[in-house]
Amino acid sequence: MSLIDLVQEKIVRIPLVSTDKPDVLRELVQILKDAGEIEDYDAVLRAICEREEKLSTGLENGIAVPHGKTEAVSTLKLALGIAPQGIDFGSIDRQPSKLFFMLVAPPNQSGPHVEALAEIVKLVQSKAFCRAVASAKDAHEVVELIKGE
Amino acid sequence: MSTPKKILVYVDGTEQSITAAQYAICMASYFRADLIALYVINTKAMEDLLKARIFLQDEQLEYEHDMEADAQRYLNYVNELAIKKGVSVIRRSRRGSVHKEIVNLVDEENVDLLVIGELARIRSRYDETERAMRMVSCSVLIAKDEERVWQMYESLV
Repeated sequence: MSLIDLVQEKIVRIPLVSTDKPDVLRELVQILKDAGEIEDYDAVLRAICEREEKLSTGLENGIAVPHGKTEAVSTLKLALGIAPQGIDFGSIDRQPSKLFFMLVAPPNQSGPHVEALAEIVKLVQSKAFCRAVASAKDAHEVVELIKGE
Repeated sequence: MSTPKKILVYVDGTEQSITAAQYAICMASYFRADLIALYVINTKAMEDLLKARIFLQDEQLEYEHDMEADAQRYLNYVNELAIKKGVSVIRRSRRGSVHKEIVNLVDEENVDLLVIGELARIRSRYDETERAMRMVSCSVLIAKDEERVWQMYESLV
């Protein structure tokens, strides 16, 4: 399964209303809940937070990729949030994070999980792409930008 | 008309790849062809994720261990599907870059048909299966319509 197949307007939130890291994680999981992609909100949030506690998934250039494994999902799930104002996510370069790609996978789907994460890494290598997504007006524009890459 | 003598199906654990396996089993049965099922432990992607600092060292090892277990599980599942239809499967698990390992195995085994699951609806330059489809030297069959393929598999005597 390609990352492109996971990207749809209902899993994109722009702008995120959260202003700190714990709230961002909760809001990203809530996106999946609202979209009908998950049922067990607590289990998914726990999986994401457990990984995040080991080390922040905040990368350079305003990108964060929180991820986790849980049996609460049966297939790979993606939520995408954009915070144009930036949020302190404890990133490597200490800069605020603006683009959040959250991936959740069942433990027996590690292959597609790893490939989707690798696709995100390749996508965000383009600073122009990241700037365009971070300044997108709505979910429709974000989806179009990603599918056009 | 020459028929396929050696068929390779790529399995990654997705529903699409299981549908591909069912289709490949049907074809191997019809054509009395050899069937190889391949799972690739994507160590290349995991190295990339480690470099990008998305993965921690112990996380990489954990995922690698999970993928080794997935490889056995899914290859065994394909084997069970094949045995039910009297088809034998050569199970192969490899490590590395997915598209490169598929391309290499096609050449090494002189495969004349690669069967893969349905691709993304939009072209993706980063999709490993799509890259393999474009790069292999043999013909490629993309299995679509899970329900129809399942019925074809079920009707196979």
